[in-house]
Amino acid sequence: MAKKEFSFNSAVVEIENILHNIESGDLDIDKLSVEVKRASELIKECQKKLRLTEEEINSIFKDLA
Amino acid sequence: MAEKVSLTELQLIIRDSLYLALPDIYWVIAEISELTENNAGHCYLELIEKHQDEKNVRARVKAIIWSNRYRFLKAFFENITGESLREGLKILVKAKVEYHELYGLSLIISDIDPAFTVGEMAMKRQLIIKKLEQDGVFSMNKELTFPAVPQRIAVISSKSAAGYSDFVNHLKGNSFGYVFYTSLIETSLQGTETELSVITALDKIALNSHLFDLVVIIRGGGSQSDLSWFDSYNIAYHVTQFPLPVITGIGHDKDVSVTDMVANRSLKTPTAVADFLIDTFADAENHIIEMSSLITVASLIIIEKNKNRIEASSIKLFPLARIMMSGIKDKLSSEIIEIISIGKELIIRAGLIPANLESRLSSAMKSLTSGKDLVLKRNRERLIADTINCLNSKKVMLKSLENSSQHLNPENILRRGFSITSINGKILKNFEEIKNDDMIDTQLYRGTLKSKVVKIKGR
Repeated sequence: MAKKEFSFNSAVVEIENILHNIESGDLDIDKLSVEVKRASELIKECQKKLRLTEEEINSIFKDLA
Repeated sequence: MAEKVSLTELQLIIRDSLYLALPDIYWVIAEISELTENNAGHCYLELIEKHQDEKNVRARVKAIIWSNRYRFLKAFFENITGESLREGLKILVKAKVEYHELYGLSLIISDIDPAFTVGEMAMKRQLIIKKLEQDGVFSMNKELTFPAVPQRIAVISSKSAAGYSDFVNHLKGNSFGYVFYTSLIETSLQGTETELSVITALDKIALNSHLFDLVVIIRGGGSQSDLSWFDSYNIAYHVTQFPLPVITGIGHDKDVSVTDMVANRSLKTPTAVADFLIDTFADAENHIIEMSSLITVASLIIIEKNKNRIEASSIKLFPLARIMMSGIKDKLSSEIIEIISIGKELIIRAGLIPANLESRLSSAMKSLTSGKDLVLKRNRERLIADTINCLNSKKVMLKSLENSSQHLNPENILRRGFSITSINGKILKNFEEIKNDDMIDTQLYRGTLKSKVVKIKGR
């Protein structure tokens, strides 16, 4: 598998860390924009994982049956 | 020499002797080793008793349940035990010994005690549970972490089983649009071949365990599905040792098998398993949505804080610049006055200096003062431009921050039915921040609510 597998769990952990950093309140405003951008990317990836079909998995499963 | 009799006569003598010698009924404990129903609806059984080693048979007899009794007893037995009458079960039956000149000896069964079988099965199950506990494996599958997104599912079932299509249809037709991948491992889940079939399927999945998030074992419900096939030490042991979480939906509403007990989770029906998986997805998604709304709120607070800081700075900056500029102006003016007076003094002192020199001096002086004016003007313009630039760049930065937090759009979150609750304008995140009778504001997608706290439940 050439593509690095997206891990929902580690994405959630990363989002939780970002949230924790932002909620602590003393985050530098320059860092805030970086963190928010990263969180929004991760959230998008997570949503994609839940709803978008990966044909790769489908074809592997077809071969197994 | 003894009296000669025909075979029929002998058989009749035996029959009569037995009839006279034996009481009408016995309650007999036995194990069913064979069972067939014929077209007329009569049930023919072979009953055995095994040695303690559970292998060798020490007694064997034919038995019959006539159709008029069988119809009733079959349903009665299934209703109480949840099992159909079948080979391998231990039963307690009320029987009469009958001897037929053509068919020999058989037990005619007129009643059955299902409670005995229930007890036997429970005892057998207890022994298996005890052994799994002694082996230290009983809860091993339960201890595996359940995946947040159980998406790639190995299904141990049969294509023809009603439960299988229920499961797949329910799962893939979920109203959230979640994606699940299922791979069916065709398995027999009924009858004597169940144990071997399930273990073979588990082994096959284990070889490809990296491709899956979990295993489900499902089959349709109904009275014909005997649960006791899953009261198997070998199946249960394999489940406990399995590297992925196993969920069972074996379709039994009365009781659970040992396999259900050792599984990571056990649900009553295949549909319930599908619902559980969909709910797990929804929980995962809600957690993300919740975090994204919290990030939005927390970011907006930081942005607001910084905005206020910049505004405060700019209010201070304008008068400061004016004071600085007027200071520079004053200093320059006094320099100009000084230069003029020095020039005048020089002219007066140098009475002998020719007129052209005087005029040269005055023009030089003029150009000098106008040069100073220019510097003053330029400084002033630069100062204003720098201030404006500085303010503009901060504004751009704020705008981009607001834009990136738009990805997390709180309105979208509110539209999904989430709401933001606040007290005295402060966002409420913890039950400890409020007390009874506090007035709280709830912001919905449309409109706001003001409500009074009557009860607080902590977590």
